[in-house]
Amino acid sequence: MKRGKRLRSLTAKYMSIILTALFFINFLIIGTSLLVFHVYDHKDAETLQIEKAWHKDARSLQNPGSEDINRMFAKWQNRYPQARLFWVDNKGRLAAGRNLAADIPKHWNAAYTANFIKARYDNDPFTVIAFPQNDASYGFIVFEIERKLLQPAFTEVNTDFMYFIVPAGIVLFVTVSYLFFLGIRKRLLYLQHAMEIRDVDGLPVPITVRKQDEIGQLEMAFNQMVEELRESRKREEAEEQLRKELIANLSHDLRTPLTKIRAHAYTLGKEALTPAARQAVDSIEQSVSKMDRLIENLMAYTLLNAKKLKYEPALTDVVRLARSFIAAWYPVFEKEGFFIDVQLEDLAQRHWNVDPLWMERIFDNLFQNVIRHAKDGKYIGLKTEKTDSYDALAVLDRGKGFQHKSSEKGAGVGLAIVDLMVKKMGLDWKIESSETGTIIKIIHYR
Amino acid sequence: MLARILYIEDEQEIGRWVTMNLTELGHHVIWLRSGEEAEGHLAHCDLVILDVMLPGLDGFSIGKRIKKEQPDLPILMLSARTAIEDKVEGLSFADDYLTKPFHPDELAARVEVLLRRFNKNDEILKLKHLTIHTKDMRIINHETGEEILLTGKQYQIFQYFLRHLNQILTKEQLYEGVWGEPYMEGDKTLMVHIRYLREKLEKDPKNPEIIETIRGIGYRVRK
Repeated sequence: MKRGKRLRSLTAKYMSIILTALFFINFLIIGTSLLVFHVYDHKDAETLQIEKAWHKDARSLQNPGSEDINRMFAKWQNRYPQARLFWVDNKGRLAAGRNLAADIPKHWNAAYTANFIKARYDNDPFTVIAFPQNDASYGFIVFEIERKLLQPAFTEVNTDFMYFIVPAGIVLFVTVSYLFFLGIRKRLLYLQHAMEIRDVDGLPVPITVRKQDEIGQLEMAFNQMVEELRESRKREEAEEQLRKELIANLSHDLRTPLTKIRAHAYTLGKEALTPAARQAVDSIEQSVSKMDRLIENLMAYTLLNAKKLKYEPALTDVVRLARSFIAAWYPVFEKEGFFIDVQLEDLAQRHWNVDPLWMERIFDNLFQNVIRHAKDGKYIGLKTEKTDSYDALAVLDRGKGFQHKSSEKGAGVGLAIVDLMVKKMGLDWKIESSETGTIIKIIHYR
Repeated sequence: MLARILYIEDEQEIGRWVTMNLTELGHHVIWLRSGEEAEGHLAHCDLVILDVMLPGLDGFSIGKRIKKEQPDLPILMLSARTAIEDKVEGLSFADDYLTKPFHPDELAARVEVLLRRFNKNDEILKLKHLTIHTKDMRIINHETGEEILLTGKQYQIFQYFLRHLNQILTKEQLYEGVWGEPYMEGDKTLMVHIRYLREKLEKDPKNPEIIETIRGIGYRVRK
């Protein structure tokens, strides 16, 4: 990954949020402490000041006798009225004192002194011991005060901030994290939505890549996939076109000589012929028609089986459609002397989702079969049927039925096409055939 | 001479045969082997019959060009290409599409229908007791010598029948062809108009001979 990309990545962003948060929390704690606790400079601590001043005063005593020391005590007592001050001279006697506690002995031996120093060291009361003129031969002077009477090392100020800044900081961090993930979630949802969009050809549509991070890479990968899918669809369409073209050309090439055969037979038929020759010409004529139908059905069947026959279903009024089919076939049946029985009534659902051209093909094949196999019955019926569970269009004849071997075979492909088309359009069909006739129903279940 | 027909077909035997048949019916046929010289003949033609697979420019391209220049010139495609796609493309500009191997009688019938539809024939049509001059639609009862006058709608309906002579027209087809709006199931308008039309045209409106009722389907006017 390039450096720029790495910087733009979600990982980098997430890490920067985490690091900022960690830094921010430190800053928050320190900052809050600074705001909340007022800390005095250590140099200025009162105890230190006292210690220094006591030693200094002790050092600077001119004549460390009772008088001087009492003067010094008086001065200190002015500043610290509650401090206890006393002097133990070089003989261990308590020579002077102020505010003395009852437990201070009159005589100090070495053991007591050591014990006293040990007890007071870094303890409460705060105690400073100094030698006048820095000379132990004058004994020592002691300053004692309860620590609570002195100024503390720090004080709490702005305590309200404590209750505001820390929660606010946490809320801020949570908000930033939430917004970050909300951003990711939004983009993932957008991506999902975009992936679900389909073009008119049923293929997904490429996505606009807006950022170069991990989701952006996912989008690019998706776009690449869409591109490949389109390529593959294009290839498939080209193959389909080639196949259709091949079949169309084959059909064309078969029909051209067939047309010539018919042309010659027709020309021949206009001559004065013997009855046998006339029959031969008629036979050629019939065979041409039969070949034509067979080629047509075979082509349709091949295309249909390869799922390459154009299929465009639409909500279609089938009663009306059926009427137009029988209208087109009427002259043919009329010429053959058929009784044409059309009873097209309304259906519970007369609009079916079917391809009208496919329906036409189905009925053409059914009518064709009646002409070819049920001519003897001299009857063609086209009726609507309405039951509780389905609507149907029925083609009826009074031929000898399917069991009877017709003189003309080859109904197989025609009915195979009917079967494939009916099923593909989500319809059903049924044949009821007996010696007295056949009923074929094209059924639409509700 | 009935009509001047421009016929474009590269296949020798079929071309000769069709030309012969149409000529026998009284038409004047100009047969060309390709579409290149078609341009010069268009002005004098009543109808064009076009094959699809031709050397050079194919029949679809030629047909589209002709239709663009002369929308009033009927075109009949005559092809061995039977795929639905081909028919759909052909009928996007052509007025009829007949597939090979066709029967010459069917070709003749379709040519006649097209010529009538485009009023290319000043035909005098005789239907039972009626004589009809198709170009100005004068209808005369030649038994009485009286001219029959129709109202606007009746005239439109009867003309529609004559344009689709011998064809069975469903009531939907007829209504939508004449009124130009979708037929509503159960609408009696057409039936009422047909009844009035029959009262004017038929000798005995109870047993019509001119406008046949085809039970369960529609109507037909037959020559």
